[in-house]
Amino acid sequence: MLPFLKIMVKNLLAGPSTEAFPFAPAHTPARFRGKANHDKNKCILCGICRHVCAAGAIQMRVVEDGSGVEYVLWHNSCVFCGLCAHYCPTKALTMTDDWHLAHRGEDRFAVREDSFVRYGQCSTCGARIQPRPAVIVEALGTRYPDRFMMCPSCKRESLAKRSVPAKPDMETSETSDE
Amino acid sequence: MSSTYTLPVGPLHVALEEPMYFDVKVEGETVRAVELAAGHVHRGMEALAMNRNWFQNITLTERVCSLCSNSHPATYCMALENLAGIVVPERAQYLRVIADEVKRIASHLFNVGIMAHLVGFDSLFMHAMEIREIMQDVKEGVYGNRMNLGALTIGGCRYDIDEESKGFMLDQLNKLKPLVAELHNVYDTDPLIKTRTQGIGVLPLDKAIEYEVVGPVARASGVNYDVRRKVPYAVYPELDFEVQTDTAGDVHSRAMLRIREAVESVSILEQCLERMPEGPNQLPGFVPIPKGEAIARSEAPRGEVFYYVRSDGTDMPQRLKWRVPTYMNWEALQVMMAGCQVADIPLIVNSIDPCISCTER
Repeated sequence: MLPFLKIMVKNLLAGPSTEAFPFAPAHTPARFRGKANHDKNKCILCGICRHVCAAGAIQMRVVEDGSGVEYVLWHNSCVFCGLCAHYCPTKALTMTDDWHLAHRGEDRFAVREDSFVRYGQCSTCGARIQPRPAVIVEALGTRYPDRFMMCPSCKRESLAKRSVPAKPDMETSETSDE
Repeated sequence: MSSTYTLPVGPLHVALEEPMYFDVKVEGETVRAVELAAGHVHRGMEALAMNRNWFQNITLTERVCSLCSNSHPATYCMALENLAGIVVPERAQYLRVIADEVKRIASHLFNVGIMAHLVGFDSLFMHAMEIREIMQDVKEGVYGNRMNLGALTIGGCRYDIDEESKGFMLDQLNKLKPLVAELHNVYDTDPLIKTRTQGIGVLPLDKAIEYEVVGPVARASGVNYDVRRKVPYAVYPELDFEVQTDTAGDVHSRAMLRIREAVESVSILEQCLERMPEGPNQLPGFVPIPKGEAIARSEAPRGEVFYYVRSDGTDMPQRLKWRVPTYMNWEALQVMMAGCQVADIPLIVNSIDPCISCTER
């Protein structure tokens, strides 16, 4: 008779199972997908985060003088799916375990990631290229350190001027120039 | 004076807090005919999908429904992979099954919990929800969110299970198993539950076939139909589990079937965690989606989910269409409700585990 009665008494004696938040910290697992975080020192402005964002929470706008990009991510538009962080090639975007996003209504547009990412400069001609922050140079630019810092046209030029000819019987452009 | 009159039920708060409207013709306390009216939560998601690229639609389809929020992107990704003609790495297939089954357990426990609530047995409702909380902790701890797992990507899975999360998941399953067994016993023997749910909302086998119901509703009426077995996908052919069936076809048998399926899902999870091979959890790079059309189907907690995708070779779908289990199941409510008492309407509606937000999207 009434098989639940025993369970009910047990539950009653066990006390509440809810967390004491906000009077005590709530448990947050390490993998929790909370507020997104943008690290401007890793961003290469590839724009994949904006491309995959279903919510349209990310905006990238070139500033007036053309020196860089204003990167904005609105936490109120974000749906915490984490696709941006998944596809970010340099892991400049990450999902933190911070879920404390309560704020006043008038601040709803101010609760955002706001960073300015400066464009890179071609080491040879000074043209505008994608950013080349130090962490990215260390991670990706070690194979051809000189060419990594160049704009596409200077890169082509330097490839064409290679001292090692493509085929042994061919003369390089470098020698014919001289 | 006519002895019948029309009673409006809904659109709010019929069983779950989801809008569904019934025009019920009653004679005294007995229901004589039911007419359904739908469309209260139409959000135009299929049109939204056509205005978003392949990646954005992973997130969009995940938000079609909260309780089967993994089945939608999983079937969507499967359709895209069928279209692109690619095979997902084996580890990713195991990871997909794990995500699906975790959601299934939580969804089934939620539904049987709500049933106790509708019976008026709220302490049992709270207990069922507390058991479900074990799976919610798995979702939060392993995937990072309590409802939207964010587990999938085109060509694989976004998450991986390391030794730590594997141990955590097994601990939680060991915690869950005795509690679900205990819950099964309560639902099976409690006189309050039995009096309110046995013999009501009956859907006989011939009607189940006629209305082409799917999922636990079909299986409780004796239709042995489970997409995981009939049209196996991912690694289901290699897994050892039994499709649960029953013949009673009433509200009680559907609830019991869901608890038994949750038990089977626990066993599937354990097998997956044990057998999962090492390897990549996704294909490298981006999967190119060619021009063409493809379909995919899978077994969501409520039954068969079907996805159709047509691509014109751009990065947005030309058409994305899905059919969800509730679409077939809610028509059968007319059979289940005929002759029932007015007080039993919420119980019968809940017993098909309706997902209105899926169906009307």
